This record gives sequence, C-alpha cells and structure tokens, in this order.
Amino acid sequence: METAIVYVLFGSFLGLLLIGAPITVALGVASLITTFYLEENPVKFVQIAFTSVGSFPLMALPAFILAGALMEAAGLSRRLINVAESFAGPFTGGIAASTVVACLFFGAISGSGPATTAAVGMLMIPAMIKRNYSPGYASSLTAAAGGLGIVIPPSIPMVIFGISALGMIPPPAAVEKFGTFQSVSISKLFIAGFVPAFIMATCLLVMNYLLCRKHGYKGTSSAMDFGHIFQAIREGFWALMAPLVILGGIYSGFFTPTEAAIVAIFFTLFVGAFIYRELDWKAVSSSLETTTWLSGRVLLILFTATLFGRILVENQIPAIIADGMLSLTENVYFIWIMIIAFLLFVGMFMETLATILILVPVMLPVAYSVGIDPIHFGVVMICSLSIGFQTPPLGENLFIASGISNVSIEEISIKALPFAVVNIIAVLLIAFFPELSLWLPRLMGY
Amino acid sequence: KNFKIAVGDGAGGTQEALGKAFIEALEKNSNKKHTATLFLNGQLGSEQDTVNNAAMGALDFSILAINNITPFSPSVGTLTLPYVILSLEDAQKVTTGPIGQQLVKNTIRDANVRIIGWAYSGFRVLSNSKKPVKSVADLDGLVVRVPKNAIMIETYKSWGINPTPMAWSETFAGLQQKVVDGQDNPYITINAMKFYEVQKYVTNLRYIFSIEPLVVSESLFQDLSKEDQQAVLEAGKAATAFSASFLKETEDRIKKELSEKGMEISDPADGEKEFIDKATSTVWPKFYESIGGKDKLNEVLTALGRETVK
Amino acid sequence: MTHFLKFCDRLESYICRFLLVCFVSLLFTQVVSRQIFGTSITWIEELSVFMFVWFVYFGASYAARISAHNRVSFHFRWLPAKVGVWLEAFADLIWVSFNIYFVYLAYDFIFFRMNKFWKAQTLGVELKYIYLVLPIAFALMTIRILQVNYLKLVKGVDIKDPDKIDLPLEDELNDVDGTSATNNTNNGGKA
Ligand code: NA
Ligand code: NA
Repeated sequence: METAIVYVLFGSFLGLLLIGAPITVALGVASLITTFYLEENPVKFVQIAFTSVGSFPLMALPAFILAGALMEAAGLSRRLINVAESFAGPFTGGIAASTVVACLFFGAISGSGPATTAAVGMLMIPAMIKRNYSPGYASSLTAAAGGLGIVIPPSIPMVIFGISALGMIPPPAAVEKFGTFQSVSISKLFIAGFVPAFIMATCLLVMNYLLCRKHGYKGTSSAMDFGHIFQAIREGFWALMAPLVILGGIYSGFFTPTEAAIVAIFFTLFVGAFIYRELDWKAVSSSLETTTWLSGRVLLILFTATLFGRILVENQIPAIIADGMLSLTENVYFIWIMIIAFLLFVGMFMETLATILILVPVMLPVAYSVGIDPIHFGVVMICSLSIGFQTPPLGENLFIASGISNVSIEEISIKALPFAVVNIIAVLLIAFFPELSLWLPRLMGY
Repeated sequence: KNFKIAVGDGAGGTQEALGKAFIEALEKNSNKKHTATLFLNGQLGSEQDTVNNAAMGALDFSILAINNITPFSPSVGTLTLPYVILSLEDAQKVTTGPIGQQLVKNTIRDANVRIIGWAYSGFRVLSNSKKPVKSVADLDGLVVRVPKNAIMIETYKSWGINPTPMAWSETFAGLQQKVVDGQDNPYITINAMKFYEVQKYVTNLRYIFSIEPLVVSESLFQDLSKEDQQAVLEAGKAATAFSASFLKETEDRIKKELSEKGMEISDPADGEKEFIDKATSTVWPKFYESIGGKDKLNEVLTALGRETVK
Repeated sequence: MTHFLKFCDRLESYICRFLLVCFVSLLFTQVVSRQIFGTSITWIEELSVFMFVWFVYFGASYAARISAHNRVSFHFRWLPAKVGVWLEAFADLIWVSFNIYFVYLAYDFIFFRMNKFWKAQTLGVELKYIYLVLPIAFALMTIRILQVNYLKLVKGVDIKDPDKIDLPLEDELNDVDGTSATNNTNNGGKA
C-alpha cells in the first residue's frame, strides 16, 4: 500500500514537472491525485491553505525581502559594498578578495543569494574588469560568492527551513537512542550560520588567491590607501549600522527575526529619506511590488508543499525512506555524503526555496534517526543549496553574473567549478564537525 | 481499520498517555478489528484545525486542550474558568457526570464532534526564577508568561499584574534570558520542558485544571456499527480512568524529582483564599456571556456542591 | 488600453501593496509599543497575520499575471520550440482545472462546513469572512492564467521572465504590463 502511494505521489509530481507545470502546481495536483487515490476527502486542503500561510514567524519572509529591496533603493547597499572595495590593496587578487568580503557584508543585510550577486556584481564585476581581470573570472567568482548571501544571516531560506522544521518532531525511536534534540528556531539558525559563512568565504578566498597568482592578477602598485578606506567607512556609516541593527537585535534577544526585519525597513526608510536622500516614492513603490510577487510565488509553493508533506506524514513515508537509507549504512558520515550529494544534484535543477519546502519533510526524519541535530542539519542544507546558485542548468547567480558581464553562462559555470569544489569541501567540513555550527548559538545562550 | 488520532502535544505527556490507553482498549474491545495510530506534536495540523477536520469527516480522532474546543462549542468554556475545578475529583465528577453528558451533547450539536474521553493534566502551577510566591502581593514585580488566552490574562490582571502573552515556542528561551520571570503549566509539562533548569520557585496554584478531551468525528461515529460504537465508547471510558491514575502517579513522582533538582515548592497562604476571591469575583462575570449565561456556571457549581453565584 | 483596464490588469498589485504597508506598519507599532512603552496591543498580531494571508494569495495571483511561477524548463531546449510552448499550455490547463476545483472546495467549506461559532480570538470577526480570500484569489488567479496564455498563444506577446535582471540596455524592451521596471533584485537601471 505505502509503496503504491509513493509511486502515485512522486510519479505525478515528476510527470507534471516534466511537462513544464509550475512547481507549485505539480505539488498541488500530485497531492490531489493521491488524495483521490486514497479515497480521502480533499476538503481539508482549504484549511491547510489558510493555516500553512497564516503564521506569525512567516511574516519574516516578506519583511526581509522588502528590507533588502529598500536598502538597494536607498543606496545603503552601494555604500556597504564600497567599504569592502576600499580594502582592495596591493595584494595578489586584492579586488577579487574584496568582492568576496563585499558578499559577506551585503549578505549581512540581505537574505537572498541572487540579490547578493546582483548588488555586489553590479559594482565589483566592472571594477575587476577595469583592473584587467578576465570578465569570465570576475563573473564566476561573483556568482560563487553570491551564495554566501543565504548562509550568513539574515537568510530567507533559513526562515523557510525554520518554518518547515518547526512542526516536525524527532521520531520517538531516535529520542530513545540519542536523547532529546534541541528545538528549531529561526533565531538559532541565524546564529548557527555565522561561522559556516566565514568558513565558506575563507575557502573561496584561498582558491581565489591561488587562481589569481596563476593568472597573474596583481594588486594596485600603491600601498593601502587608508584615506580612501576611512572615507568609504565614513560615507557608509549608516549602511554599516544596518547589519548591526538586524543581527544585534536578534542575537541579543531584543527582537524576533520578523521584528528585526521590520525595524530594518523603518531604519532604511529613515536613512534613505533623510540622511542619504536617495529614496523616492517610485523606488518605494517598486520595492513593494517586487515583495508582492516574490512572496506570493514562494508562499503559494508553501501551501502546496504543505499538502504534499501532510500526505507523506499521514502515510508515514519519511519513515520508510529513513529505513531504506539506514539499511544501506548507519555510518553518519556516509549518510551526510549521500544527503549532500543529493542536495547538490537537486540544487542544479530546482529553485532553492521550493527545494527546502519539498525536502525537509522527507530528509529531516532521516537526519533525526541517525542523531543529527536539526539546527546543524539546517545549516548544512542551506550551505549545500547555496552552491546550487552557481551550478547549471538552473543557477540564478550564473544568470545574473552573465547578465552583468555578457559572458556566456557556459563559460561562467565552467570557470566557477574550482569555487564549487572548495565550497563542497567547506560543506563537508561543516557537516562533519557539528560544533562549527552549534558552538556559537550555545555560547549566546540559545 | 487503522484510525488516525491527531495529538497536539509531544511524547511523554498526558495526551499521549490517554491516546495509548485508548488504542490498547480499542484493540481489546474490537477483538483487534480496529486499531489507531497517534500523530504527535500537531503533525496533522493545529489543535483547532483538527476539530474542523474531524467535523468534516476528514480526520478520525483528535486529542486537544479544552480551550481549543471552546471556539467551536462555547458552553465547554465553563470548565476553563478559574477556580471552577478545585481538585482532580472535581474534574472527574464534572467530566464523567451529568454535566459532562450535557457538554458532550452540546459539542455534537455545535461542532459535529463527539467527546469520548478526557485526559487530566493537573493544575497549572506557577513557577518563577525570582522569589517564593505565597500571597497575591508576592506577585508584584514578576513578569509572567501566559498563552494568548483571554481568561488567563484576565485572571492575572485580577491579581494586579499584567502578564505577557508569548508563543509557546519562545517560552523556554524567554525564561532563560529573563525576558520573563515566570510561567504557569502542569507539573508534567514543567518537567518535560526542563523548566527546572531556568526556574527555581513553584507555587501550587489551582486556578486552572488542564483537561484535554479525546474527540471522534461524529460522521465517522455514526457510520460505525452498533458494536463498533460501543467498542469506541468503552475504550474512551477506560482511557479516561487510566488518565486519572496516570496523573496521580506521575505528578507525585515529578514533584519529588523537582525538589531533588533544587526547586522550592510551596502552597499559597490561607488555602489560596485571596487568589480565589479576587479571581472569581472579577473574572467570572466577564465571561458569563461567552459561556452562554451565568446559569451554565451555576449548574456546574451545584454539581460540585459549591455555592452558586448571584 | 483604457485607464480602467490598466488598473484591472494590476489590481492584485495595488491590493497587495496596500496590505503590505498596513501589516508592516502594524508590526512596527507593536515593536515600538512593546520596547518603548512596555505594553503590547493584543489584536495587532492576529490582524496582521490575516492581512498577510490576503497579501500572499493576491500576490500569488499577481505572480501568475506576470508569469513568475517557477517551472523546470531546461529540458525544453532539446525539444522543438513549439512543443515546449504547447506542453506548458497543457500544464496550465491542468492548473486551471485544479484552481476551479479548489474554488469549489473553498466555497463549500466556507459556506456549508465551517463551524458557525468559529471566530478570530482577539478580533471577534467570524473566520468565514477572513477565509473568503481563498475562493476570490484562486478565481482571480485562474483568470490570470487564461489571460497570460491568451496573450502568449493568440496575441504572440513575449512575456518577460521577471526573474531576469534588468540592465540599462534592456530598458527599451519593457513589455506591455510594465512590470519589467522591477525584478527580484530591484536594481533595475541603478548600475
Ligand atoms: Na544573508
Ligand atoms: Na543550480
């Protein structure tokens, strides 16, 4: 019986994806077909439509999208990136290294990978090309580093992971074997992503140094320009305050993530309107519009993914998958390698948020049953999917970098391969050493 | 048939204990013809959603806190007023006696679900990290977390403090970081949530006795044969009886464990008189309308042999 | 197009922007009131969540209007262009059927099955009225899917991918619905 449900559910889902149905439709229609197959009443879909979306923590999603869009429009993003750029000195690959740092800076106010690539790429790709970097190299590095935007908090994928994982409990057998698991919260995930983001950035910086030495990309001949750095920091003071407001507020327990995003919105409106004076009605209105359709699109998937997940849970399918995986191996390192490889594969084709919504109900029970901490699992999942932004055929960062530099997607994705390799090494490190993710949240008393 | 039972709480609580006892009795009563699976932690939707789903026949059974049935069947709200139930015996008398029968009937009529069993979770005792609380005056200066529940909020207000409504998922962190000083919950919950790590003083308040009904979809129930209906009802009764003994045993054991872990447990002064007077005189009148009139409350009070209100 | 038709074409966008401004402001009021005045306003959370749900489903309908719902389509490049177009149109037909059925389910649930006592806890409104967004928004979404397919298949309009980043060069390619001034990164023309 159960295996037949799996075939009906996943079969109709994949079939619909193949004929080009939107992901949300594939999920919804597959759930409906399975409900008919089980001879159950689909009227409960209506209530799920309302309650899956009507949750307070979920409001962090539009709030962070809006905050990011407004910061762009208000000139905060540009000043933040200028600060990172000013650090480019007489080092080999200096300006490229600044690009990675800029992605970290920008990532600390934005929760999206493509938005990070776009904002940083707009300024840094031309700057790199001006200093004789090949356009292909400049684009591939930016596409790779843009993924940091979702690892360093705030992060929209982490919000989505938190929401999906909140309602999922460790199976009793796992609790018996490994003791109680910590509860999932978005704040905790945000803090846990901090150290892994720096590890991934470090790996990118090392690879960048090696490649720049090979290609002979030297720094400027003059020494570090401290005057320039000072000026950039002074001009970017209010922009630099933004991550402090967001992260400081969350880490101190002063705000919930949703409230932090709300405060960031009003902070940006204030700075943009009265200090930088770059914000006008048109820009605000278009930020609101972008937030509208981006939220509508993702959260419609949330509804249908909840239907899909509910059918999985009611028929206890995750347990079957977990048993299947455990019958192959009980070694947690092998399980990690299988999980990461699968996420990298899915990340090639699927949009990130949809991937999280679909896979958390399937994979988190597996993680629990081998004793993996849910926060740690979330961080590794986000890190793995951040690599998907730079891998074809669906690599959002590739498209954006290619749009900026006019280099072909094929060339960028091949040149980005070394970065993908170091990023995968970083993800394996983060997976194998849970303390890298769990130490900071514990230190902060979560 | 393998029925689905939605359970709001996680493993280790009274809801799960009731569910397990029900399944065992159901299997026995139906000669293994029927069984059921528990879906813990709201996996089948929030507690309120499960009422709707059961009403529509899209879910078989659900075990949930009583205050999540009240929105669908207002007269049940009588049992959620402060200091209506003053002991486990009171709770048993009300739920399994004629009053209980009346509530079951009303709930079938109003919400299309049938209450067939009751889990008893015990009184919500007050814990805090700051000081021992024995009188209403001791509450002064304490920030207490409550769920978003009008009756509980009003009760604390009647004692002179403004409680802080906070989501359950944020409560442990809130206590740990001293955003709030205290909270109230049954002993079983305090133990399961490890609140003893962040709380020191416990006061044995009795203002709310947590009751968690087991409901079955009325349309499903009507579709069952007479024998099956009987099997389900009997299993519900057996599970209810089990729940009462489960509560007595676990609560005593947990109290002892919590003392050993360093918690200081105390009783309110003067048999809780001051707390009771303040809460009943100001909170009760505010909710007469929502429970369907003062008479509903008086019926319960009479059944418990207590003085009625005028 | 007359002004009225233009307005209708972006109806959901106007509704959503209004709702978004409202609930963001409500939440900000709550933060200020709690952090500065030490009290919280009880009905804000519930009202803002309801507005958020309305925002989401009208936003989903608007996303359908600008053809923003993600599909997996990389494999179409190995097929003749026509095949991909018609397969997607067929998939949209399934989508339309799903939506129509869901509108029926929602109508049935709201008017015939919902518990009559069920009210919002702090606002006191019957939840029935709040749930009305579901049949309305899904019906609207259905119209949008048909509209987009009409524009695409009959009128031959090239509906732009809203995810695609706008570079200054592309500004002249703005399509009829005028949405291309924005994109997910919102940096059009700022380079
Ligand atoms: Na970020
Ligand atoms: Na990809």
